[in-house]
Amino acid sequence: MNNSTISQYIPQVFDPFLQVITVIVILFFAIVIGKGIALYLKRALNTKIDKEHLDILLRVVYYGIIIIAIIGFIFPVLGIRTSNLLVAGGVVGIVVGFASQSIMGNFISGVFLMIERPIKIGDQVNIDNKLGYVEDIKIVSTIIRTYDGLYVRLPNETVFTTSITNYVTNLARRFEYVVGIRYNDDADEAIKIIEDLIDLEPYALAHPSPSVFVDNLGDNAVNISVRIWAPVTEWYGLRTKMLWIIKKTLEENGIEIAFPQRTVWFASDLNTRNIDTNYVENEMGNYINPGMDET
Amino acid sequence: MFNIYNPPFTVELEDTVITVEKQGGNLIYRRMSEGEEETELVLLNNDGNILINPIEPVNLPKKHNTSFLLIDFKHPVLIRPGDRKKIYLSFPVEIGVFVSDKAGNHEVIDIFTFSRVKFTLYGSHDRGLICRYWESDIFTDIPKTNILKEGYIELEIINDSNHLMEVTKVVFNAYGMKIYHGNKRIVMNASMRIINKLLAETDFSTNPTTSRFRRSMELYTSRKLIISGTKGIMEFGL
Repeated sequence: MNNSTISQYIPQVFDPFLQVITVIVILFFAIVIGKGIALYLKRALNTKIDKEHLDILLRVVYYGIIIIAIIGFIFPVLGIRTSNLLVAGGVVGIVVGFASQSIMGNFISGVFLMIERPIKIGDQVNIDNKLGYVEDIKIVSTIIRTYDGLYVRLPNETVFTTSITNYVTNLARRFEYVVGIRYNDDADEAIKIIEDLIDLEPYALAHPSPSVFVDNLGDNAVNISVRIWAPVTEWYGLRTKMLWIIKKTLEENGIEIAFPQRTVWFASDLNTRNIDTNYVENEMGNYINPGMDET
Repeated sequence: MFNIYNPPFTVELEDTVITVEKQGGNLIYRRMSEGEEETELVLLNNDGNILINPIEPVNLPKKHNTSFLLIDFKHPVLIRPGDRKKIYLSFPVEIGVFVSDKAGNHEVIDIFTFSRVKFTLYGSHDRGLICRYWESDIFTDIPKTNILKEGYIELEIINDSNHLMEVTKVVFNAYGMKIYHGNKRIVMNASMRIINKLLAETDFSTNPTTSRFRRSMELYTSRKLIISGTKGIMEFGL
């Protein structure tokens, strides 16, 4: 049964006032039915389909019902033939296309984003230097909630044409510390202590294995590089926790974190003299003890 | 040790003390480790029994990290084509505390372990699995284990390929685990069917090794989740 067959059973309304009322009533019922079916599907499929696919399905169903209502019921009521729309649609399409170039660009980008799926709802991403969680992927825009809680709306064209960094697509993620110890500390012992600490940490993955090594001999410190892999879900927690534990444990074992220092060697002996700290220099340049009674 | 307890009671497991007290119609559950309180729960209007038994070792430090256990062999095992061989591996023990109602339903209220907890990545970064990691010796006979820390898996390796195969690890799916415990041992029966160098399938059997073993209350069946599969598919190498 095609649209023209359906339209035979729907009487055309000629009174403009009645047309408006009929269109509103049909649209109202279409929206109610669309929302009702979408709600039913959401409840029925909530545990069976992941959120992103479910959202797409619900939107397709909802807008599909509205489009069917427009083409199948509103057009016949208004006496619009769908075949005529093809001709009119071509002309209107060109006009609308020019007028809404950016909207169409965003819409098409949105479609490609849904097909390619470089991001999903809930992912942590960096898009166009906007870092945060993907809250929603709509037809023409993508919503990001930044780490400091800001709402950012990105047009899909921007999302599609810019580079996207998705922090949670892969299962594991690496982080790195550089721990600078003094030159007179034992780097082998420091490495062993750090490796033992990593071994104790559940979320520091066994494979890919962590690596701890002397990376370079710096101006003020022997720099030990510590690279640890963690599940992406636990990466941040582990990264924020481990460095201080490493610092404290190294110090408990007598290994100090180095600070900037410079050793200066003099070519000849310095002409220095010892001064009692109880003495202070007076205006004449002599040292006196203010605690002693000079009388 | 692993049993059903009728409150009030106190149980000591290594350096951990579990106490359940009655206060009116409520139960107060406490777990102390080395004298320090780790967990305290108030079970409102509850007069059910408490069940303590080993559960699938994939729930700590927190649930939903993974449902896979990877056991890394300390030494590789070689198996001839068409052969089947039984070996024994150790596995970490996690202990679940359940509360039961009159209808016989069980809900987990606490999970703890005396074993080392570690995770690993099996397979590729994009399609692999995050697994609970455990390193085990290869035993040809039933190993002696500390029941609170380790159990053993009786693993039958079946080489269905036409090549000599080297096995260095095995991956199990917690949804298929069937854990049995006696007074001194915790045991699982599993099989590993090698299809080729990169592909193997692991599964668990329901038969206990001896009739003296009791079946544990497993967490992954009591959650009543829709389960797509209970087998472990090793598609990233052996």
